[in-house]
Amino acid sequence: MNYTRDRSLQLAIGIPGSLAIVGLVTLALKLAGSELQIQLIALLYLLPILVCTVLWGLSVGILAGFLSFLAFNYYFIQPYYTLAVHRTQDLITLIVFFIVAVVVSQLIGQARQAERVAKKRELEAMRMYELISAFAGLTDVELILKTLAEKIVDTFHFDQVEITSAVDQNAGQVKYHFPASSILVEPCDLSMTMFTARSTQGEIKLWFDQNTLSLEETRLLSAFSNQGALAIERAHLFESENVARVLEESDRVKTSLLNSVSHELRSPLAAIKASASSLRSRTVEWESAAREELIATIDEEADALNLLVGNLLDMSRIDAGALKPMLRWNSIQEIIKGVEGKMRNQLHHHPVVYDIPADFPLVPTDYVMMEQVFTNLFSNCIKYAPHETSINVSGRKIEERALITVVNQSPPVPEEQLDFIFTKFHRITAADKITGTGLGLSICKGIIEANKGKIWAENLPDGFAFRISLPLTLEGELPRTPKDEIDGKKPPDTSD
Amino acid sequence: MEKNPLILLIDDEPQILRALKTILGAAHYRVISASTGEEGIALAASQSPDVIILDLSLPDMDGIQVCEQIREWSTTPIIILSVRDGEREKVAALDKGADDYLTKPFNIDELLARIRVALRHSAASIGNKETIIKAGRLSIDLARHIVTLDDEELRLTSTEFKLLSYLAAHADRVLTHQGILTHVWGFEESDHIEYLRVYIGQLRKKIEKDPDNPELLITDPGIGYRYKTEG
Repeated sequence: MNYTRDRSLQLAIGIPGSLAIVGLVTLALKLAGSELQIQLIALLYLLPILVCTVLWGLSVGILAGFLSFLAFNYYFIQPYYTLAVHRTQDLITLIVFFIVAVVVSQLIGQARQAERVAKKRELEAMRMYELISAFAGLTDVELILKTLAEKIVDTFHFDQVEITSAVDQNAGQVKYHFPASSILVEPCDLSMTMFTARSTQGEIKLWFDQNTLSLEETRLLSAFSNQGALAIERAHLFESENVARVLEESDRVKTSLLNSVSHELRSPLAAIKASASSLRSRTVEWESAAREELIATIDEEADALNLLVGNLLDMSRIDAGALKPMLRWNSIQEIIKGVEGKMRNQLHHHPVVYDIPADFPLVPTDYVMMEQVFTNLFSNCIKYAPHETSINVSGRKIEERALITVVNQSPPVPEEQLDFIFTKFHRITAADKITGTGLGLSICKGIIEANKGKIWAENLPDGFAFRISLPLTLEGELPRTPKDEIDGKKPPDTSD
Repeated sequence: MEKNPLILLIDDEPQILRALKTILGAAHYRVISASTGEEGIALAASQSPDVIILDLSLPDMDGIQVCEQIREWSTTPIIILSVRDGEREKVAALDKGADDYLTKPFNIDELLARIRVALRHSAASIGNKETIIKAGRLSIDLARHIVTLDDEELRLTSTEFKLLSYLAAHADRVLTHQGILTHVWGFEESDHIEYLRVYIGQLRKKIEKDPDNPELLITDPGIGYRYKTEG
């Protein structure tokens, strides 16, 4: 909003406007002739003053008053066509008229002025409110700078704005230029430091083509700058608080991890040690079937240890935010079938039944991580579902996402616990009947989230379901079809 | 009588060296070992082993570097050992000239199979180029573009043919996604793994008994594919 420009515009229209209105009134009164009494004429001359004050403000109103006074005197007070006044009565009328004109235009003008100021204040307050609401919940410095720059340009119509945040140990220095395409011409027309009671938070540089800023504009601008500084400070505080919270959480997790892991590492080790030392022992002569059994135990327990170590490694990566999936177009069926193949021995009592359409789309995932997910899910099913019940795996395309469901016959989980089973070290069976670190499902969740998906659990009337939903686009794109198919060079495929 | 093949183990973990020496010795291989990259390179040069088994994590240098240096003057097959989520590393080593990889912990049968393939491959590379590739149940006539599976001719599209013949020509060896894509579709398409998924799927339908449980076209998670004829 440019107040200075508004005012000069008012004058530019107001001066000829007031001349015209006073002229018109004079002409009308002149045509009406001499029947009118002088007091009535004086009263009627108040009209152009009112109109001009209302339309163009106080100064134009006063100008209209002065013009009316001259015209009244010149045309309607004897002797006509001079500015001289002979009769005392006329003189009094004229003086009273002049006083009334000035007072009326003053009063109206002030009221209008007050109204305009109030409107401006209201607008400023609204702008501030918009800015503060836009800042609400923003904890990213770059977003804050972006919001502030856009609001400044939006409010003041500056040509360019550049905001630089002060260097912060967590976030570093951030710079935002708006509009992004504009070209910088140093030096800027105005620069302001953004600061809070604590410290300097950054700098705003402005480019504009008018000469100066009005008082109101400067005031609003510095209010904007202060709010921006506060928002940046809040973001930094939030950040450091987050860091502290993560540290605390990971500390807590590490302690319970150590407790749980040392136990979990020992049980397969104990089995391996027992089997291997039995085989070495010279006191017992093992039958070949028993030997096979012992050897199988060693082999299987080694695999169990390997899975556990893999899970631990994944867990530490998930915690450190260092789990970086290699998202590639993969076939989910292939991944799951591969896992089934590797776990054939363990899945002996739990046949896997598939219901995945042949044309199920490719899903952008990390193959090796997804193997870990299904290994963990299957191993969970094996632990909790009764023997000789099947694991049903289905795949559906729902609303541009892949929905993969693994249903097994394990007992239902209380509804309020459903979310917690994906939390670290959570096991619904309090009794230590079932082995496991309680890490498996939380790793599934970590991996699926790193793969931009969601995982949750549901109690179904006919079993217990894990559901995984994954996006079907990679960086916003669908899988490409090879060129030779697009070109139509590919001969018709008759075999399938 | 011909001497037994010589295997060079480069690994810094004494337990692994001990176990592998015993197992490979029992399988009638001669074994020498090095526990650092430098020592390994020296032994590779002085003893000219038939196969090198190289662990990617070595105390003195990066296993990929070892692989690269040996490749400068030797074509000895190199089998690398790496951990489960070292896919990037494995692919890098394969790109630098390694022939195959195994993920630790591995099954000994698998290791022995890889060694056999590596030995066969190094023997085959001396021979002349064949225009007919026989790989397991499959026979591919490169000149006449005819593929037969168990003596029955298959109808393949030209891309399928190119893909299958490339895989079969390197039977039992892992080929990286990028390598395959570059060979079949050209360098500029080498990122589009989805092509491979589609075409491997089509090929499996044509040549596998059960396309869902492939026995010929095997996926190496995160690495690539191999055409399997043994084991």
